[in-house]
Amino acid sequence: MADATTDFFQALASRGPHPELENAKGTLRFDLKDTGKRTARWLVALENGSVTVSRRNANADCIVRADKAVFDRVASGEQNAMAAFLRGAIEVDGDQALLLPFQRLFPAPSRSTR
Amino acid sequence: MSDGLVQILDGNTFVVSDSRGDIEASSTDPTGLFSFDTRFLSTWILTVNGERLNPLSVDDLQYFETRFFLVPGTGTVYVDAKLSVIRERAVGDGFHEELTILSHDEEPVELTVRVEAASDFADLFEVKDALEKKGRYSARVEKRKLLLGYERDTYRRLTTISASAAAEVDEEGLTFTVRIKPHGEWTTDLDVVTATGVGGRYVRPKYERGQKGARPKMGRSLERWLQDAPRLESDSDSLKATYRRSLIDLAALRFSPPVAGRGSSLPAAGLPWFMTMFGRDSILTSLQALPFTPELAATTLLALGDWQGSRTDDFRDEDPGRILHEMRYGELTAFEERPHSPYYGAADATPLYVVLLDEYERWSGDRRLVRELEREARAALNWIDEYADLQGNGYISYQRRNEQTGLENQCWKDSWDSISYRDGRIPGFPRATCELQGYAYDAKIRGARLAREIWKDSAYADQLERQAADLKRRFNRDFWVEDGEYFALALDNEGKQVDALTSNNGHLLWSGIVDKSKAKAVARHLLGPRLFSGWGVRTLAEGEGRYNPIGYHVGTVWPFDTSFIAWGLRRYGFKQEAAVLAGGILDAAELFEGRLPEAFGGYERGVTKYPVQYPTACSPQAWSTGAPLLLMRTMLGLEPLGDHLVVDPSLPESVGLLALLDIPGRWGRVDAFARGRAQLEEPAGRRARVRRRLA
Repeated sequence: MADATTDFFQALASRGPHPELENAKGTLRFDLKDTGKRTARWLVALENGSVTVSRRNANADCIVRADKAVFDRVASGEQNAMAAFLRGAIEVDGDQALLLPFQRLFPAPSRSTR
Repeated sequence: MSDGLVQILDGNTFVVSDSRGDIEASSTDPTGLFSFDTRFLSTWILTVNGERLNPLSVDDLQYFETRFFLVPGTGTVYVDAKLSVIRERAVGDGFHEELTILSHDEEPVELTVRVEAASDFADLFEVKDALEKKGRYSARVEKRKLLLGYERDTYRRLTTISASAAAEVDEEGLTFTVRIKPHGEWTTDLDVVTATGVGGRYVRPKYERGQKGARPKMGRSLERWLQDAPRLESDSDSLKATYRRSLIDLAALRFSPPVAGRGSSLPAAGLPWFMTMFGRDSILTSLQALPFTPELAATTLLALGDWQGSRTDDFRDEDPGRILHEMRYGELTAFEERPHSPYYGAADATPLYVVLLDEYERWSGDRRLVRELEREARAALNWIDEYADLQGNGYISYQRRNEQTGLENQCWKDSWDSISYRDGRIPGFPRATCELQGYAYDAKIRGARLAREIWKDSAYADQLERQAADLKRRFNRDFWVEDGEYFALALDNEGKQVDALTSNNGHLLWSGIVDKSKAKAVARHLLGPRLFSGWGVRTLAEGEGRYNPIGYHVGTVWPFDTSFIAWGLRRYGFKQEAAVLAGGILDAAELFEGRLPEAFGGYERGVTKYPVQYPTACSPQAWSTGAPLLLMRTMLGLEPLGDHLVVDPSLPESVGLLALLDIPGRWGRVDAFARGRAQLEEPAGRRARVRRRLA
């Protein structure tokens, strides 16, 4: 069944170049735990504005850990990523600076008007 | 310091205590140990044999360390000083306190020393607004450490307290049973460590016992910071003192944004409550400090670029390309009860971002950064036309979309009554304040230069210049108040002039949007009796409906405001007028012992003889600290021209000699000299000379 997280990463992979990430280079791994304690992993590589996404379990420069339910909300724009990070709902290890350009990719809240 | 409170800080970690070194906070009392906008310690009380101590003296060693000299007993006329107590405290990730008790007794003494500790984990916003907490507190003893915790869902904050000497630790503090030989001493270290996040990672304090070179985490030590800044020579001792104070305060205000992870620092807005990234304050302070510490500008540009808006989010007043207003890290932000993660509700920071990028390159020659930030600069320029023109009339306007916790006035005069008509009425929203249009004009002109010279996009440069010329033409028609010969404060939601006379006119000169034919009338107002108090330029002119010499943005003088006005006067060739303003503010600085407050009363100088400080909790404040620096630039008439620095001085009466040595920039290091009118009868062109040296 499709879900917000899968939709987000799949759209990311198919969208073509991301000029807003031109200056970012490195890998991020998202470890997302579901209620059954299973962990789904997404590996994202950023280089010169190109984004590649895979499900490989490999080491990464920046590792992001969260409950899948939390990440679903972030990936759909319902939850702000920085606020979730400050709350401890998202944990970040390694090169935190990589998450800054990446967070630009999260969608806007649907209730916003302009 | 105000109210006998002692502040020390390192980045956004700071301690505010009383003059004994004790902390006794209530929900609304602003003392404590704060870090990341959270209070980690709200009680920290030292007693000896159950008695509080009495302060003899406090030494502010540096902005990050303090020493308290204390004796037992309070409130008595005669102090029986058989004991002396010294607390030496340095801020790190929490703080490190060295507690020493000296006995002056000929007999051995036995003492019970107790430190009481507790934390309310208040968000800075809660300290200001007295809000209720929603989470759970804990206090437990583990391996001779006291752990104070706070938990709300996944949000966790932890304070760990430990001592080097043997102590009985309970949930409310530490007790030491101390025996001291005749004329002997006893000592212990106390470590208070703050931790955030799940599980609360344990962080060692940065300052260890006996460590001589304890330094804040800012990349460079204070001495190095002072050495690297240009040297000032002057016959004015007060100017020298003000300059040194400004450099030290600017060092204290440096802030390394967490998460950004760039490892370098930018100017935070003010100490202690505004030790965070602010778009407007960080940009304007970086501009003021460019001839002195250009690296602040580079970090500001990078960090604000990292956080540039990328989506439409009403709660945060975020748009694509918009530069943030304020970032916060506390509980209310974490739970989205406040929008500061970050909040974007400023209408001026985005055009000013482009202004800073261009001005930085003119000084530093750092084309690499201009290329690296091309996308951010273009997005900022795009924001002006695509997102800021709320009324479709070709002007930047603002109106908050977050009606609960957003900011009403998104310009630097952000209090509720700051924008008014002559008769005191307050306009509706959206509001298009005049300085925003000036900044937009300047951003387009400067953006065009960057596009042409560095991004090699002449079509874009032409387009920006056409837009700028059109904006200037319309602005000089629509904002000009004919019967008063000045620019209106704003256009209201019907496009009508909000016609009060304000200091904003000076910012218009700085931006270059003012038609040459109108500049003289504007300058006359700025130096005239309704706006100029003798110390500086009033925010709102005397005689306007809402004028109040101690109204926050409706009559007080803001030193930073006057410093940019002096820059504006220089831009239009009013050298002596700029020098008069510089003289007024520097005279005021002398009376404030070199540290200019955020604002002071707009009373006529001849009446009060002394600038009356506006009551405010924040000092030093970044852009007040930067004001004397910018005024030194305007007095010397420093202006980069290609790879050279032009010097064209004009000094106020009170300064006879001004020499600034080793000014850093694309020229390497150069010196600038100026002599005042009183001392020298030389043709103007010969008063200045630039000595070039190999860098």
